[in-house]
Amino acid sequence: MSASPLLIPRRSFLRALNLTVGGIALGYYFPVEAQRPTNEPGKPAAPKPVAGSQAVEARAPGLNPNVFIHVGPDGTVTIVCHRSEMGQGIRSSLPVLIADELGADMAHVTIVQGDGDKAYGDQNTDGSNSIRGIYEDMRRVGATARVMLIAAAAQRWSVRAEDCVALDHTVTHRPTGRTLGFGELALAAGKLKVPPAREVVLRPVSELPHLGKPLPLLDAPAYVSGKAVYGADIRLPGMLTAVIARPPAVGGKVARFDGTRALAVPGVRKVIEVPAPKPPYGFQPWGGVAVVADNTWAAMRGRAALNVTWDEGPNAGYDSDAYRQVLAKAVSVAGRVARKVGDTESALKSAARIVEAEYHVPHLPHMQMEPVVAVAHVDGDRCEVWAPTQNPQAAQTEVARVLGTTPEKVRVHVTFLGGGFGRKSKADFCSEAAFLSRRLGGPVRVQFTREDDVRHDYVNAVSANRLTAGLDANGRVVAWRHRTAFPSISSTFGGKGTPGNDDLQQGVLDLALAVPNVTAEIGEAEAHTRIGWLRSVYNIFQGFAIGSFVDEIANAKSADPRDVWLEIIGPPRKMSLSDLGVERLPNYGQPLEQHPVDAGRLRNVIERVTRAAGWDQRRQRGRALGLAAHRSFLSYTAVVASVVKRANGTIGVEDVWMSFDAGTVVNSDRVRAQLEGAVIFGMSLAMYGGITMKRGAIQQDNFRGGGRIVRINEAPRRTTLDLVESTAAPGGVGEPGVPPVAPAIANAIFALTGTRIRELPLINSLSV
Amino acid sequence: MPPVPDNQLRAVTDFSVIADTKARSQALFVEASRVFLHPRCANCHPDGDVPAQGMEMISHQPPVTRGPDNHGVVGMECAGCHQDRNLAQARVPGAPDWHLAPREMAWVGKTPHQICEQLKDLKRNGGKSLEAIVEHNARDKALVAWGWSPGHDREPAPGTQEQLGAIVAAWVQTGAECPREEVRR
Amino acid sequence: MSITIRVNGTPQQLEVDPEMPLLWVLRDVLGLTGTKYGCGEALCGACTVHLNGQVVRSCVTPVRRAAGADVVTIEGLSPNAEHPLQKAWVELGVPQCGFCQAGQLMTAAALLKKHPRPTDEQIDQSMAGNLCRCGTYTRIRDAIKRAAGGRQ
Repeated sequence: MSASPLLIPRRSFLRALNLTVGGIALGYYFPVEAQRPTNEPGKPAAPKPVAGSQAVEARAPGLNPNVFIHVGPDGTVTIVCHRSEMGQGIRSSLPVLIADELGADMAHVTIVQGDGDKAYGDQNTDGSNSIRGIYEDMRRVGATARVMLIAAAAQRWSVRAEDCVALDHTVTHRPTGRTLGFGELALAAGKLKVPPAREVVLRPVSELPHLGKPLPLLDAPAYVSGKAVYGADIRLPGMLTAVIARPPAVGGKVARFDGTRALAVPGVRKVIEVPAPKPPYGFQPWGGVAVVADNTWAAMRGRAALNVTWDEGPNAGYDSDAYRQVLAKAVSVAGRVARKVGDTESALKSAARIVEAEYHVPHLPHMQMEPVVAVAHVDGDRCEVWAPTQNPQAAQTEVARVLGTTPEKVRVHVTFLGGGFGRKSKADFCSEAAFLSRRLGGPVRVQFTREDDVRHDYVNAVSANRLTAGLDANGRVVAWRHRTAFPSISSTFGGKGTPGNDDLQQGVLDLALAVPNVTAEIGEAEAHTRIGWLRSVYNIFQGFAIGSFVDEIANAKSADPRDVWLEIIGPPRKMSLSDLGVERLPNYGQPLEQHPVDAGRLRNVIERVTRAAGWDQRRQRGRALGLAAHRSFLSYTAVVASVVKRANGTIGVEDVWMSFDAGTVVNSDRVRAQLEGAVIFGMSLAMYGGITMKRGAIQQDNFRGGGRIVRINEAPRRTTLDLVESTAAPGGVGEPGVPPVAPAIANAIFALTGTRIRELPLINSLSV
Repeated sequence: MPPVPDNQLRAVTDFSVIADTKARSQALFVEASRVFLHPRCANCHPDGDVPAQGMEMISHQPPVTRGPDNHGVVGMECAGCHQDRNLAQARVPGAPDWHLAPREMAWVGKTPHQICEQLKDLKRNGGKSLEAIVEHNARDKALVAWGWSPGHDREPAPGTQEQLGAIVAAWVQTGAECPREEVRR
Repeated sequence: MSITIRVNGTPQQLEVDPEMPLLWVLRDVLGLTGTKYGCGEALCGACTVHLNGQVVRSCVTPVRRAAGADVVTIEGLSPNAEHPLQKAWVELGVPQCGFCQAGQLMTAAALLKKHPRPTDEQIDQSMAGNLCRCGTYTRIRDAIKRAAGGRQ
């Protein structure tokens, strides 16, 4: 009999007893004693034994079927979490899924954060991919261990494996009721041959006790006590801290510098030039002058005392006002066709009415709470790195490149991340730390100040989108043309600035449309800074443009926006490539058969959210509702926002409803948390966010102006979430909540004030 | 009177061209009000509970509010962020006992006439005599002085504290007359 | 120059630049890394500690201001994460990335000390200086009310 099941929320106990706690309906409450802090990744992780080595067996006896799981003779199950924890709760989700598949009791599970290692497969924690991309693979990881424990028990008892079950950390022979704990079986199981993955049968989903439930946040006790170790919390003997003055414009470099005054600051040890990188920049160091000191404050003061003259470089002419015009021009002419159904040009020419609008979204900054930071310690041809990285293998590669060694000789430990949102997938901060550590011969921490973090960001692409719809005499939308221009992420890695067709998979090619004539065209664009990806990426501006445009069509024909959405999406159906009018759809890396473009699911979230928001009664004094929807990362989201005009004349967002369909989810509480967060994230970019460029340099430097984000006093009074229950394959969770938020708000503002705002941030057009 | 650059104050002697004592007194006060109404000073004399920030006098960010005794609410006290002197690197301005002027000393949106009446009213000026007002303006070393040494790249109040002190003293000496309601500068 | 501060009840004698912000004394000198660096300009609140019971942003507080005073950091808020706020935070799954939460908790603790049953407006006003990029605000509000509800 196992210890009390710690992960079952008290709610289900109390429901059985027909009680609630203190009269409050239990949403996501857990008994405090259920929370056990997991291994903190800052400490050296216990080496995870690799399968098949006798020497290793001696060191860590037990069952080691793969790099992810170890079962010890004492019964402890160690599960490696090989994806980075940046607030999405992966450490509280993926290991539980594996444990469920295995049949382990979480009370006896220890979670270890995986270092960067090819053996784990893809560790890039990005693209809302850590469940949807590896759901079956990780279940198989747990199932393999289960199969071997059962095999060991069956052997011990001389019974059939089919008559045994693994549950609650125990294997039970059903016919006789005999049991053996996992610990008792570990050694024997460890001697068995590991079955090939294709032979391992997964449990029926109904046997995964925690799937889809609200699960405890296992790291919460560490977070609330200050014990969780983030990048800057790593302290090594002899470690120095570097703060770097980097060229203001990408492509710029040091013309000359004088470190005399910097060296005079107490605590400063060295001033070192970091060579300028050559394009394509990728994750290379930014170049500049590093001030290395005993502590962070001295390094900051030292950097302030540096005298540096910059050669501005080739992007000195990059000005965001001027570039806006460049993009506007790019979408004013025909572009390269990426999606085509029917004959849009003819249909537009013969349309009874044209609706046309152009939308602009600026570069956007990440503004994650933890500025990027990394610690590196070079020793000969080896290097050890500690960093809050979303992609430890990219860090291995980049560090190896900088040091002229191989990735296998670079050990990357992943700390907790104080937010990522895509910024920390880039390994620039790791490569800078490695460069300096080699120069200095000891451990070096590269600390970005907040100003550095903003000014040397891999910003989300600036964009222009021009949409044109043709309506027939009955007001039906018969033509839809979407012209888009933005500098592509590929440009950072040596590709073209002008987006490729595949870049339009985010929101343009996968938009379900029943309109008989559709075209999507790509305009030319060059990149003049390091373009990166920010939570939901291109979907941010595609979602804003499309979400606003549908509302504009509705207004033009005096129709209900919800009806227009449903009209243009068309009937429930799964759309083929030819239905969509595209030649190929990367579909976020997953097969279309498994994750179709499902018009029915998009309609469904729109219908559900409008019902929840009381859409039919949306015309009320003093407040207005706006609607938008979007498919991204294989999930479907619809949002209704309610805005009011406050007493002080500013517009505020009072209520947000979100309906969300991500298919199968593992941890419904973390899904809710991600969506609550996506609402705030979407509000911030709608209302305040925006990077401006002058002379190639980012103008913002902190949580103000274009770096401003929503505060608690601005957060909606109520956020109502509706998670569609589904057994469809898991879709993404971390990002898809974001894209419909900004257009829903802009649409609500139009309904409230009659002012249509087509450029973000909203604060440039009105008081928010 | 000849024009003067925005960042300078006229000297007391400049006002001797105004023969009539009452008129001269009024003109001196209008000159002093160029300091009082400058954003550097007026930002912390709001006619409400929220200070302003910057030359455009936008709402203070992070959002703060007056609190029960003009020093902010719990968790957002003025001295939680503002130190006793300006901080170079952090850009946060500072002076000893950073806080809001009481509501009755609001200047934003007021005319020089209204500020003058306020300044002379014992019920609204903290019980200060005219001599004390001169002293406060001329020699306070904390928040008043800060107006001319705001730090970072913040534009100081016009002139110098010494000059303002002299103007206020001359105003008192000439009868502490208040300008007419419609006068602005 | 020698400064003595009592940090979480323990006197610490420090030889530091009196202008060094308290944040860096705590983190780099004393190794108390629970207090975080988020912005360096008192805009984000991640660095919040108590100085003689008052909330201060340690990133802009010169250490000389803490001379002879009591400083409490997240590590000293309670012995075993037993403060009602910490318990409420865990029960409601408040944190996402967790980076801002030490600052949130320190400010919330000061709020509850002064207003044991704060109104929505008081919560928003007092907590407005603590940013959360992950957007945990709704749960922060709920957790403060839960802790204020009097569960011990």
